[in-house]
Amino acid sequence: MASEELEENLSELQIGENGEKKPVENDVSDGAVKVSCFTEDLQDVTLHFQIVNFSKQIYAWIGCNSAKLGHLYAAATTRPNNNVSVTSLLGGTSDNTGSSIARRIVLKTGLNVVVACNIPKDSPMLEATAERKLVERLASLGYFRPKEKHSN
Amino acid sequence: METGSNNSLPTQFPVSHKSFSLNIKGNKTDIVICKYDDSFMVMATQIGCMGTILHARKEESVSTDPTFHVAVIFGKRDEPFLVACARQLIEHISSYGSTRPLVLSLGLKDHSPIIFEEHMITCYGSKYIKEE
Repeated sequence: MASEELEENLSELQIGENGEKKPVENDVSDGAVKVSCFTEDLQDVTLHFQIVNFSKQIYAWIGCNSAKLGHLYAAATTRPNNNVSVTSLLGGTSDNTGSSIARRIVLKTGLNVVVACNIPKDSPMLEATAERKLVERLASLGYFRPKEKHSN
Repeated sequence: METGSNNSLPTQFPVSHKSFSLNIKGNKTDIVICKYDDSFMVMATQIGCMGTILHARKEESVSTDPTFHVAVIFGKRDEPFLVACARQLIEHISSYGSTRPLVLSLGLKDHSPIIFEEHMITCYGSKYIKEE
């Protein structure tokens, strides 16, 4: 990649400080990706949520009192019976915080999910609260499948 | 509820982000860049999902020449240009003085080198990665 070419192309593509984008050739301004951010203040912790809605996937980040990325998990339905599988992408595999959230979101939405979560270990109540808040927002965004009748 | 670009009011939400959409070689590409406390997240997709996810970080070294570790953590592991893309981006981030690792997700229809060059130009053009 010649540096002269890069400089020329950079001068054509300019992005403003506040996220405004100057039009370039063949530019499409309407993004299909929506980013939702919200915060829930609990008694002793503050939970931050960020949801990126792709058309075929959901990315969600849950922050507990901080803006660190935390551990990254991916979950999806897998063959042969469409059971949900979860894997840890970044972070310790022995830490299950976040993996169960990812798994249950796949169960409810049917979409592939990538979840980043920095909730500390051994906080089941906090994890449950975070999952509930996230699920509420996903429901309001229209992500849930119709409820099926359960025989058990 | 905030949607679209965040106008970086630090007291409002701790993670700032930019999202925009570009047409690269006829393919609509959605790009989201997020800045966390300890890392950057860059997502570029043409296929409606995150695609291959890579992790890149600058390694601590006593040498003056920086070295980087880049790995695919999810998705295609046999596309060298994906790794090259992450490598270029982490080096660019490092050149601005930031030591934060990068999580890069690429969901592309075309894996040719030209497409990666376009993506590099797009990411380089973003002033957002430059740390204040």
